[in-house]
Amino acid sequence: MFRRILIANRGEIAVRVIRACRELGVEAVAVYSDADAGALHLSLADRAVRIGPPAAAASYLSGDAVLAAARQTAADAIHPGYGFLSENHEFAAACAAAGVMFIGPPADVIARMGSKIAARQLASQAGVPVVPGETPSEQSDEAIAAAARRLGFPVLVKPSEGGGGIGMKRVREDAALLPAVAQSRREALAAFGDGTLYVERLIDRPRHVEIQILADHHGHVIHLFERECSLQRRHQKVVEETPSVALTPALRARMGDAAVAVARAAGYRNAGTVEFLLDGTGDEAHFYFLEMNTRLQVEHPVTELTTGIDLVAAQIRIAAGEPLKWPQDHVVRRGHAIEVRVYAEDPMRDHLPQAGPLLLYRQPSMPGIRIDAGVVEGDEISVHYDPMIAKLIAGGDTREAARRRAIEALRTYPILGIRTNVPFLIRLLEHPRFVSGDIDTGLIDAERQALVAGLDAEPPPEVLAVAAAENRNGVGGHLKRTVPDPWESLQGWRG
Amino acid sequence: MIVTPLGDGRFRVSDGDRERTAWAAGPASARWVFFDGRVYLVSATGSRDRGESRAAHDEMALASPMPATVASVNVAPGQTVARGDVLVMLEAMKMELPITAPRDGRVRSVACKPGELVQAGVPLVELE
Repeated sequence: MFRRILIANRGEIAVRVIRACRELGVEAVAVYSDADAGALHLSLADRAVRIGPPAAAASYLSGDAVLAAARQTAADAIHPGYGFLSENHEFAAACAAAGVMFIGPPADVIARMGSKIAARQLASQAGVPVVPGETPSEQSDEAIAAAARRLGFPVLVKPSEGGGGIGMKRVREDAALLPAVAQSRREALAAFGDGTLYVERLIDRPRHVEIQILADHHGHVIHLFERECSLQRRHQKVVEETPSVALTPALRARMGDAAVAVARAAGYRNAGTVEFLLDGTGDEAHFYFLEMNTRLQVEHPVTELTTGIDLVAAQIRIAAGEPLKWPQDHVVRRGHAIEVRVYAEDPMRDHLPQAGPLLLYRQPSMPGIRIDAGVVEGDEISVHYDPMIAKLIAGGDTREAARRRAIEALRTYPILGIRTNVPFLIRLLEHPRFVSGDIDTGLIDAERQALVAGLDAEPPPEVLAVAAAENRNGVGGHLKRTVPDPWESLQGWRG
Repeated sequence: MIVTPLGDGRFRVSDGDRERTAWAAGPASARWVFFDGRVYLVSATGSRDRGESRAAHDEMALASPMPATVASVNVAPGQTVARGDVLVMLEAMKMELPITAPRDGRVRSVACKPGELVQAGVPLVELE
C-alpha cells in the first residue's frame, strides 16, 4: 500500500478521496489554488500545498505544479479525481516518469480511449456496436457538413477531443448545419485547444446508460452494473440512478459483457466507465458504445450505495497492485439509489451559473441519505471552477423509496446566498415522467415549462414573516464565517 | 401564523395546526429565505428581487450574472428584438451563456464588445 497520496483535485471529490485515504491508513496531501485557500479539503488532509493562482490552467490543470507538490511532499501516488488532469495521458506519463503512481489506467490506455475515433474502432473490433459516424480526414467546415449530409439528418456535430457535452450540437436540417459546425469548432478550440470535429447519426430520445468496470493488474475485469444517466441538461448530467428501469436482466447482462469486452480489448486498468446510448427499452433495445471514461465518475456513489463496494478504495488498492477481491458472480446489488447534482445556478435564467457566498448552508441528515460536498457554510462559490456545490445521494429498497427520500432531503437542504437548482431538482423528481421512469436525454428540455413554472412565484406570507422575523432579530444574516468540525460536516457519508 | 426564531437562522412557522421549518440569512436589503423546498430573495420592503418594475427586471436580465468574456454581440442600437432573442453570448466556466431579451423591444444601446471581460451585474444591453 502507498504511504502518502496526493489528491490533485478540489471540492467534493478531493474530500471524498481524502476520506478514502484515511480509511486505508494512507496519508493524504491536498493541493489548492489561491481561490481555495480556506477550502474544506485542505483542513481534512494531512498536508496541503499551494499550487498556483485561481485560474485552473495555472493550478489544478498544471501537471508541472502538481508533480512539484508531489515531489515536495514525497507522495508516492497521485489520485486525480475527475475532471482536471484525470484524463490527461501526458500527465499520467509524466507521473510514471517521475516514479509516482498515477491512480488510474496507464497513459497509453488513456490516450487511446480519450480519442473518440480510436475508442470506437477498438469497441467495434471487440464486437460492440457503435453509432455510425466519422471524424472526416478533411476538416474544413464544408467537409464536415458534407460528412454530416452523408450520414443524414438528424446528426450530431461534436469535438473529437474532450467531453462533458462541450461544443456538442444537434442539427436537424441543412440550414442549421454550417453555423453549428462553426460554433462547435469555436467551443472545441476554447475548451480543448483542438478544433477537430466528429459527426455521427443522432439517435432521437436515447437513454444514456453506462457500466462501471474495475480492472486489476492481474487480469481480472469485472463490471458493477449500470447507471442510468439520461437526465441531462446541455449534456451535463443532473440526476443519475441505478438500476435503470429500461434494462431487463438479459439486456443488463449483455451490456455488462460488452463493457468488460471493451475494457479487456483496451488493456484497461483501474476503475472506468463504459458509456452506451440505449435506443428503446427491454430485450428489444439496441445499445451503442459511446465512449469510455478513464477515471472515477461524478456519479460513482449510486454504485457504491447499491453494491457496497467503495470505488475510491478499490482504485487505490488496484493501483497498489492488489488483486480484485470480488469475482463477477460475487458482485451483487441491493435496492435503488438516486443521485442529484446540486449546482450553483439559476433555474429561472436558463441555469446560468451563480457565484457568491454561502450565507447559510445546512446539510440534511436522515436515513438513506449521503451528501458529498466540498463546502461549508461561509464558503464562497467562486467563478473559477465548476458550479457544482454537492451531490445528494438517496438510497432505498425501491426506486420510489429512494425518490421520496431524495425529495424529502432536498426540502430540508437550505442553501442561501446564491441561487441553486434545489427547487428545480425537487420539481424534476416529482415530474410524472420521472416518477414513471419514462426518461430520455431530452426530458429536461421537453418538459422545461412544467419544471420551472412558478419557481419565481411571489413569496407566500410565511416567507415574508420569516424575512421580517430575521430582521427583528438583527442577527445580521450569518455573515460570520463559522468553522465547524470538518468531520461533523461530513455527516451523511457511508461509514 | 406564528414565526418563532430557533436561532442560527432557523425558524419554526406555525400555521394553524401545521408546523414547518424555514431558514433565513442575508442583510435586510437582500434577505434569503428557504421554505417548503423553495428559495426566495426578499428585500427589506418585502418586495421580490424580480419583476418589481420593468426597468429593474430588464437590468437584471440584461446583465452578466458573473465575470465573463463576451463571445459575440448579436444586436446593434435601433434593432428590434423579440423576447428570447439572444442579444449577447458570454463565455464563463467553460460554457456559453446567452443573454436573451426579457421582452419584445428595441435596442437603445450596447455596452460591451466581443472579447471584452465584463463584470457581474453590469447591464450589457439597454432596451427602449
